[in-house]
Amino acid sequence: MNSLLKKLSVRSPWLFRINAGSCNGCDVELATTACIPRYDVERLGCRYCGSPRHADVVLITGPLTARVKDRVLKVWEEIPNPKVTVAVGICPISGGVFREGYSIEGPLDKYIPIDVNVPGCPPRPQSILEGVVLARKIWLQRLGVEE
Amino acid sequence: MAGFLKVLFHNVLDGPSTDPFPLGETFTPQRFRGKVVVDPDICMGCGICRHVCAAGAISISPRPDQSGYDFTVWHNSCCLCAQCRHYCPVGAITLTNDWHNAHPQEEKYNWVERKFVPYVPCADCGTPMRPLPLSIARRIYLNNPDINVERIITLCPKCRQVEDARTHSSCAWPAAAKPGKTAGEGAPAKADATAGDAAPKE
Amino acid sequence: MVDTLLALLHMIIFPGGVFALAVGFFFKGLDRRFEARLQRRVGPPLKQPLLDIAKLLTKETLIPNTASRTAFLMAPVLGFAGMAVCAAFIPVPGVYHGLTNMGDLLVIFYLLPVPAIALMLAGSSSSSPFGALGFSREMLMMLAYEVPLLAVLLSVAMVVGKGTGAGAEFSLAEIIRYQAAAGQLGFNPIMMPALAAYLMFLPGTMGVAPFDIPEAETEVLEGPLLEYGGPPLAMFQIGSALKTFVVLGLGVALFFPGTLGDFWLVNLIWFLCKCLALMVLSLTLVKAATGRFRIDQAFWFYVKYPTALSLVSLVLVWVL
Repeated sequence: MNSLLKKLSVRSPWLFRINAGSCNGCDVELATTACIPRYDVERLGCRYCGSPRHADVVLITGPLTARVKDRVLKVWEEIPNPKVTVAVGICPISGGVFREGYSIEGPLDKYIPIDVNVPGCPPRPQSILEGVVLARKIWLQRLGVEE
Repeated sequence: MAGFLKVLFHNVLDGPSTDPFPLGETFTPQRFRGKVVVDPDICMGCGICRHVCAAGAISISPRPDQSGYDFTVWHNSCCLCAQCRHYCPVGAITLTNDWHNAHPQEEKYNWVERKFVPYVPCADCGTPMRPLPLSIARRIYLNNPDINVERIITLCPKCRQVEDARTHSSCAWPAAAKPGKTAGEGAPAKADATAGDAAPKE
Repeated sequence: MVDTLLALLHMIIFPGGVFALAVGFFFKGLDRRFEARLQRRVGPPLKQPLLDIAKLLTKETLIPNTASRTAFLMAPVLGFAGMAVCAAFIPVPGVYHGLTNMGDLLVIFYLLPVPAIALMLAGSSSSSPFGALGFSREMLMMLAYEVPLLAVLLSVAMVVGKGTGAGAEFSLAEIIRYQAAAGQLGFNPIMMPALAAYLMFLPGTMGVAPFDIPEAETEVLEGPLLEYGGPPLAMFQIGSALKTFVVLGLGVALFFPGTLGDFWLVNLIWFLCKCLALMVLSLTLVKAATGRFRIDQAFWFYVKYPTALSLVSLVLVWVL
């Protein structure tokens, strides 16, 4: 029963966006996956939720600026387990074009365990969907259930 | 008021316009800027791509044994601006339309384009160097039909100067003398330097 | 004893409990699917609401340190319990005539705001400023849409009461019996404004666009539900599915309780079809086509149109 619930649970990954000082390019691409019929992320059972407490898959954009670092870590801590963290765009992964800037604390995996990387500047909406599918796989592994 | 009802009605009639991806195939534009690839046969190692790269994603590191250099592009830093492609003088670096970029964290540091570009010894003196691609050389020497392009691309820059001096009569190179390493250019350079130094003193 | 057992059975299996849950979740799935189709999307699978519940049950429950623990955990249960009881009172015309034979309309009127009150409790007990914002918005919305609901129920009761000579009839069974004899109220010209008011009341009470102001995820981060996650949130969703059944079933009972013959299965399916039509008309179409009102716009919308329409019906019933 429990394993059945776990197996079913990955078919409803609720997404939560954290903007860690992003330029908004990646955020726009994230919005397109929900708002443009062509990409329709709801098909995978996803839903962009407003509260970190509802989230399963966390999509983080932006290079983690000094001002926003503590808030990002705090919000990330608020998300109930099990959670899968996806870094969207090159900024959270490596710092991207902002790397080694005076106000950049990133890359993000110095502070938060990242599970999936979706590089791109910004990544294609299809790329983000690919990342969400990959996150589902990792979520299943974390629950200890074979697909 | 009825306008939006009409739109909704047509939406239902037309059916979904959703792309089947990730459950099926999707389209990729021909000129989509995706992952960077480099052709190690053409690359000359001039480094202009590294210079113009906005994100600092390109690294060119010569090997200590002088066998060549490693050309690395970090896909996790590349911002897909295609400046490298624009500025590459020989067209060795290009962007494919491959956008399948999502990867798990374990592969983060392997998510690179890494090519080994070997040096070729100069035909005359044996100095390790990168040869110019033949097609590029033909274009460069298009207006100089007297230059033997096939030969000149196998020479290092210094030997090329020597070769030029030997084959063109404007420079009187003694036909008997062997091409030396410094004899040709060392003497005039020294003369220039002394002249330059001397001038302000007077 | 037998009556109590029967009432319990009605509450747990039909029409409350299992049946209401099944219908509620099926309708929620259909709603999301059809909304997606209206926007040229594919949409989630029909069982998506159930998958969401399954997911939420596997997540951990986090309770804020500063929250009032008991109230925080009891709020979803309260909302669920209110609707579970309420669902037993919903008559299915031709199949089931309601739990009691007198005054159940009043009981439903008092039980309908329970989920909203549970949401307010949730918002205020979670000790989050967004929860408090959601609380005040929910309260304002409730004040706005309860007035037209009361006027609609009153006008229906008075029409039926005039017909049977009882003054005002608050028994749903009597209301259905009257409509079977004297024609359905939804086709009665004096009751049309009340029907329109009821249709406008539905999106407000279900909290869907353009009236999802208390739970606006982009403005107040889901408002009262902000601190909920895991099983308590699942409880809220189950309560919401039950509420879908309750308000749609109530609408059918009040305005279109017609039956097709005497066979119960046909009548059941006919009832579900009418519920579905009501939902598509008042919830899905509106949700797919509109954005979100500001709280003052929504408040004045409810004060102006549904209240005015339902009062028109009430006065017409009184005068004619």
